Amino acid sequence: MTFWKRLGHLLPWRRRAAERDMQEELRSIAAMAAPRELGNLTIAAEDARAEWGWSRLEQTGQDIRYTARTLRKTPGFTIAVVLSLAIGIGANTALFTIINTVMWKMLPVGDPENLLTIGRQTPSGLTFGFTYQQYEIFRDHGGALDLAACGTARLDVGIDGHPEPTVTGHLVTGRYFPLLGLRPAAGRLFDERDDQVPMAHPVAVLGYTYWQRRFGGDPAAIGRTLTLGGQPFTVVGVAPAEFFGAEVGVSPSVYLPVMMQPALVPANGSLLENPIVTSTWLRLVGRLEPGVPLEQAAPRLNALAGTPATEWRVRNKFTQEFEDERLVVVSAATGLSDLRRQFSEPLFLLLGVAGLVLLIACANVGHLVLARSATRRAEFALRLAIGASRARVMRQVLVEGLVLAGLGAVGGVALAWWIAPALVAYATVGHSSVMLDLSPDLRVLAFTTLVSIAAGLLFASAPAIRAAHVDRSAASGRDLGRVRHAGADHGPGRTLVVAQVALSVVLLVGAGLFVRTLQNLHRQETGVALDRIVVVRLEPRGSSQRTEATAPQLDRVYRDVLARVERIPGVRSASLARSSPLESTNLGFPVATSAAGDPQRLRSTIVYPRYFETMGIPVVKGRDFADDDLRANAPPAVIVNESFVREILHDREAIGEGHGVRIGIPVAWRKPGQPSIGPPLNIIGIVRDSPVPGLRGATPPTVYQGFLQASTGFGHMVLHVRAARDSAEIIGPVIDLVRAIEREVPMDAVRTLASDVDVVLVRERLVATLSSVFGLVALALICIGLYGLMAFTVSRRTSEIGVRMALGATPSSARWLIARQALTIVLAGLAIGIPTAWIGGRLASRQLSTLLYDVTSTDPLTTAVAVTVLVAVAMVAGLLPARRAARIDPVAALRSE
Amino acid sequence: LEPLYGILDLLVLRTLLFGPLHGYAIATAIRDSSGQTLNIEFGSLYPALKRLELKGWIGARWEMTEHNRRAKVYRLTPQGRKRLREETSQWTDFVRSVGRVLKPGAGEVES
Repeated sequence: MTFWKRLGHLLPWRRRAAERDMQEELRSIAAMAAPRELGNLTIAAEDARAEWGWSRLEQTGQDIRYTARTLRKTPGFTIAVVLSLAIGIGANTALFTIINTVMWKMLPVGDPENLLTIGRQTPSGLTFGFTYQQYEIFRDHGGALDLAACGTARLDVGIDGHPEPTVTGHLVTGRYFPLLGLRPAAGRLFDERDDQVPMAHPVAVLGYTYWQRRFGGDPAAIGRTLTLGGQPFTVVGVAPAEFFGAEVGVSPSVYLPVMMQPALVPANGSLLENPIVTSTWLRLVGRLEPGVPLEQAAPRLNALAGTPATEWRVRNKFTQEFEDERLVVVSAATGLSDLRRQFSEPLFLLLGVAGLVLLIACANVGHLVLARSATRRAEFALRLAIGASRARVMRQVLVEGLVLAGLGAVGGVALAWWIAPALVAYATVGHSSVMLDLSPDLRVLAFTTLVSIAAGLLFASAPAIRAAHVDRSAASGRDLGRVRHAGADHGPGRTLVVAQVALSVVLLVGAGLFVRTLQNLHRQETGVALDRIVVVRLEPRGSSQRTEATAPQLDRVYRDVLARVERIPGVRSASLARSSPLESTNLGFPVATSAAGDPQRLRSTIVYPRYFETMGIPVVKGRDFADDDLRANAPPAVIVNESFVREILHDREAIGEGHGVRIGIPVAWRKPGQPSIGPPLNIIGIVRDSPVPGLRGATPPTVYQGFLQASTGFGHMVLHVRAARDSAEIIGPVIDLVRAIEREVPMDAVRTLASDVDVVLVRERLVATLSSVFGLVALALICIGLYGLMAFTVSRRTSEIGVRMALGATPSSARWLIARQALTIVLAGLAIGIPTAWIGGRLASRQLSTLLYDVTSTDPLTTAVAVTVLVAVAMVAGLLPARRAARIDPVAALRSE
Repeated sequence: LEPLYGILDLLVLRTLLFGPLHGYAIATAIRDSSGQTLNIEFGSLYPALKRLELKGWIGARWEMTEHNRRAKVYRLTPQGRKRLREETSQWTDFVRSVGRVLKPGAGEVES
């Protein structure tokens, strides 16, 4: 009732009528009463209006209109403030948008809260990959568990027979779409009927964005034919628009039945029928039956181990023991994401850094607002003198702060709209087609609003308090608009700049540490510039199933490739290795250092001759492989690295067979009665440890073997080509040559090692680059802040300096007067900032340890560089006004007094 | 004496119990009936009238006075009457309690 009446008063015409009515009533009453009997009727009317309940709102409206007017009159101030805030708020919003998407945005599927995924806890960490056979066991024996699986593959695609750029495809089981509760945007999605017989379901579902991009959203796309892995697939439907795949950051262009894997990824053979226990290519997603708690799922699955029919554990290749692993079941409500695991720490860290930048920006803005409010003292004094309450004046300043923050927020959101996708693109170099739904949702808007309001209150509080403490009498006489006290007034301004300097020290030290980390990781390079080495994985026919019979044939193909590559003009040398230095190799080489016990498994890789030359790894003793060493009937020979000599041979003479280390025979390979120890290891050369760029830690002992002498089930190799000058001139011919051998090589698989390093170091690069950018922004803000403060000081102390100079002070002493003040501020900031940075680094050492490499958070050099940069920049900002102080003309200064 | 906050509402409602009055008449009525001891400032009374009107306890209408002047006349509404009863009993309770505190002996005897 009361509320509705009050609401009625919000309507302008109702309010005008009420106002007229009240004025008439007051006039009629005044006519009845004796003069002065009733006191001040204006105040009575004002208080009566307050009873309607909206006067505070109206006053706020007035404040906002007034603020808008004054801000329009001082465009320079407004732009400076809004821009500072927009940068601060924009950085925070952009990072929060990404964090929101990667960490918290729910999967756009039906009933996401009940979704779960299964992982394996191994001694080396949590992994989420499973083989098809493991999936089958969990699906069939998992109890009250509805389970689907999905694998990701890069696919060469043709549409109606014409080749197209490579796309990302998801190979999914029949339950995938029904379990996620998805409805097609067009046509139909897969179900159990598309998941029956291997190679019998040549159908495809298009991703929505791919459908839009490639087919213009044409419904007639359904029924078209896609060529994938050389086989035709009929498009039967389109996935819903809001669905970017269950894995955050991977946006498949096409979904295919998992049953078609042998056709789509022929190099791997059939992973469906022919269990290769190491190929854990499937992610699992499932739902428990209603009422079954999540905690029950993992014990039930773990209990399946031990029974032969449902044994899901993997045996160690050498010991034949089961690997030490345990299944865990976790909620998948927000998508299964590698991105999340990889980027959560850096993103939160960067959000913290962005927060610091915003604080610095707030200090700057507070400073500007303060300086402005100093020139508005007369206005405040006048308002107080004619009866405004102090609260009212304070509120006006706060409203001004919030209006500015609001404008900053608008700018910030616009900036974030543009920054966030750029950041994602930057962070995901090399990850093919990372797709994030970065559209802002309520959470992002709430975050930005809160941050902006907090920022507004923060920078407006100091000026608001000061505005309320203006002396009413300041409005009187000729002092209007002039400030009388010289030094007393910039206390808060000085504090703000000191705080800014302190925050910047923290920020710059942090940025320095991340840059050092990146440098340290890059420094571990081989002798060759990595952008000169072109790598491409070769998977000729038969390489997926290497046997005694196919190995010599593969060897011939490889030798032929090398011979042809080396003939390409601009190629300095070429070789093959099992993997590029940045890929992890699962190959192990068993050695026995004593007669007893099981052999030790060392890191091993397969190489062809001239690998070390190609990679710029010096051979320190002995020799490289010669062609003759690699023949099938040649005596087994290996090359080892220096850390092998150090750790396994304990610096004994390595070359030859006299060192006492023998080849171990793993349990799995032993024939009955065969001992665990084989012949002595024939070492023909020692090479320098080549720390892998981008990988942390020392190079492990490594054994290099020839192709025909290694025992492994896989036959693929990675071609390494070193360019004489520029890799750009050889990359084209290399691609042609590779295409001549195997047609299904995706184009983007040919890349330089430098780009591989970029991919590996993307986290570090992102953190180093962004924190440096933030550091620069902070420096710029400090410059502005300090310059402003000093310029303000000079203008206030003009007459004082004039008097000093009239009394004989030199220009240089006037300069020193100002410079000293700037220096004091910077030193005070450093005195607070350096310990803060160090203590902060100590407190966050656990979080930082994964982001720093070979540098401690209290690294003196980094701190020294940060301090030097800061002091240099600050002095420039402080000295410009000091020079102006030195040029003050005493006569002019005194005359103006 | 300045009346306690909230008591003003009670006084206004009580004054209007005898019949409709315009704003100035309410002010003078309170002053006169309190024996000139309660001097309500018009600056406090007038917002109180608006408040009571908003709450629906009193209604207002423009009427002609006996001196043939237009005046806005306030009268109690049924809710206002109910409210007056409640407030009056609360007030007497309050006065009795305060009285007990101030003169403990007398209070005990009475009860």
